[in-house]
Amino acid sequence: MGDFLQLVRNENMKIYKRSRSWIMLAILIASALLISIMWLSFGGRDTSMWEVISTESMILFVLLTIFSVVIAAASVAEEFTSGTIKLLLIRPWSRNKVLLSKYISILLFGLLQAAALFLSTLLINWICFGIYSSLDETQQGLLFPGGSNPFAYMLMYYGMKLISLVVTVTLAFMISTIFRSGGLAIGLSLFLLLGVNNFVLLLGFLDYKWIDYLLFMHLDLTKYIGATSLEDGSNLWFSLGILGAYYIIFVALTWYVFNKRDVAA
Amino acid sequence: MVQPIVRLQNVSKRIGGRTIIDKLTLDLPLGEVFGFLGPNGSGKTTTIRMMVGLMSLTEGEILINGHSIAKDYEKAIRYVGAIVENPEMYKYLSGYDNLKHYARMIPGITEHRVHEVVKLVGLEGRIQDKVRTYSLGMRQRLGVAQAILHKPQLLILDEPTNGLDPAGIRELRDYLRVLSKEEGIAVFVSSHLLAEMELMCDRVAIIQNGKLIDVRTIRGTGSMTDQSRVIIEVDRPQGAVEALLAAGHSAVPEGGQAIAVETDRDGTAAINALLVSAGFKVYGIRTHVKSLEDQFLEVTGGERIG
Repeated sequence: MGDFLQLVRNENMKIYKRSRSWIMLAILIASALLISIMWLSFGGRDTSMWEVISTESMILFVLLTIFSVVIAAASVAEEFTSGTIKLLLIRPWSRNKVLLSKYISILLFGLLQAAALFLSTLLINWICFGIYSSLDETQQGLLFPGGSNPFAYMLMYYGMKLISLVVTVTLAFMISTIFRSGGLAIGLSLFLLLGVNNFVLLLGFLDYKWIDYLLFMHLDLTKYIGATSLEDGSNLWFSLGILGAYYIIFVALTWYVFNKRDVAA
Repeated sequence: MVQPIVRLQNVSKRIGGRTIIDKLTLDLPLGEVFGFLGPNGSGKTTTIRMMVGLMSLTEGEILINGHSIAKDYEKAIRYVGAIVENPEMYKYLSGYDNLKHYARMIPGITEHRVHEVVKLVGLEGRIQDKVRTYSLGMRQRLGVAQAILHKPQLLILDEPTNGLDPAGIRELRDYLRVLSKEEGIAVFVSSHLLAEMELMCDRVAIIQNGKLIDVRTIRGTGSMTDQSRVIIEVDRPQGAVEALLAAGHSAVPEGGQAIAVETDRDGTAAINALLVSAGFKVYGIRTHVKSLEDQFLEVTGGERIG
C-alpha cells in the first residue's frame, strides 16, 4: 500500500499551517524570555543560569502540557465537528493507520515544544547570566539533588517530564476521540491534570490502598531524579508501571472506539 | 452481462432496533449515471455511508469491483471517489493544500494530475486561496476535484447540486455525462430533486423508508409500440369523440377544445388522418409524457418530498 509517512506529513501540515501552533511556540519562548528579564532586573546578574533554567522549566512545562493537550484534543474532534472526517476516512487506509498518523503528529508537536523550550531557556539564560556563574555547594545540593551536573540533571528532568506529557496527551487524545468534542477533551484533561493534581496531595495523606493506583499520584516523576526510591515508600519502577498500565488502557480504548464508530453527521 | 462495479446484496442497517435500511439489493454497471431518489429520511445518505465504509452493515454485503467493503476495505475503497453530504474541506488550508492532502493518501497521484483536476473544475484562479474564503459553489467544485483526483471507477455524489447556481448545475450535469460515457465510470447520485435527476440520470432507483421500491429507466423510452396518452385539440370535441369511438378508438373528452386518446405512435397518425378526412380541424397533437415526478408520486403514494 501507500507510504505511511505521507499520512504523518498530512497531519503535520494540518498542525503547522495553522497560526495557533506557532502562537503557542512563540508564547512559550516569550515567557522564558520574560521571566529571565524580570529575574535580571530584580535579582541582578548574580544568579546562576542553571537556577533560572530550572525554575523556568518547572513553570513553563505546565504551559507546554496545556498547549499539547489543546492540539491533541483538536486533532480528532475537529475532524468530526467540521465533517472533514468523512473525506479523510474514505481513502485506501485503515482507520488504525489514520489514527496512528494523528497520534504521531501530536507527539511530535509535544517534542518540538520541549526542544524549543529547552534550547531557548539555555540560550536566553546563557546570554542573561553567563555560563561561568556557578552555584555554591549548598545551592547545588538543593536545586539539583543527586549530585549530578546541572546539564545532566536538566536532561533527566526533561526526560521524566516527557514521559508524563505522553501519558497526559494520550488521555486528551482518548477523550477527544471518544466524545468527539475538543472543548470537553481540553477541559476534562486540564481539570484532571491541574485540579486533581492539587487535590491529590490531600488524598495522599489518606491511608487507602487504592490511592496508590491513581494515575495522578504518579504523573510527577521528577521527584525520583537522584533517588529511585523515596521515604514515603514510592519508587520509580512502581510509578512507571502504573503509568504504563494506564497508557495501554488509553491507547486500547481510543483505537477500539475509533474503529468501531459509525461516522454519521 | 458486464460485471457490475457495485453490488449491494441484501443490505440492512438497524440502529437500536429501528430498521433504517431494509434488505437493499442493487447492481450498478459501469458507464451509467444512476440516480438514487427518495424523500428526506428515506435512507439515501445511510446507504451511501455504508457504501464508502463510514457505517457498518448490520446484514448483507457491499462489493465494489468484487472487493467487500467490510472485509477488504483498503482494496475496495480504492475504486471509489465520493462526496458525502456537504463537501467539507479544511477551511484553514488553501484549496491546493486540501487536494495535496488527499493526493498524498493515494500513491501515484502526480502534481500534474492535481493541476489537471483543478483546471477541470475551473478553480485555477482561486486554488491558492484559503477554503475559508470560498463560496458554497466553489467548495462543491473542490469537492468534485478531490473525488475524481485518483480517477475512480465509481463516483458517489450525495446531493451534488446543493448550493450550485443554474449554470453550475448544468456544467456538473454535462461533466457527469462525459465521465460516464467517455471515461466509462459509474456515477451514483442521490437527490430528492426530481427534475434534476430526470435530466442527469440514465436510471433511477426509488427508495422509501429504507426499502427499494422501484428502478426505472429514464432515457431511451418512447418506442413505437408504447401506449401513451395523446391529447388532440379539435374544433368540435364532442363530434370527434363520437367519430373516433365509431372507428374503434377509446377517446374521451379532455375538457375545453381537447380530447384524449390512449394509443401508440402509428395510432396517433391514423387518428389524425381519420379526423382530418372527416372534416375536423386539428389544431394540435401532443403526447402526454409522465414526468418522473408523476411516477415518483405514484410509487411513493403521494408522500410529500422536500
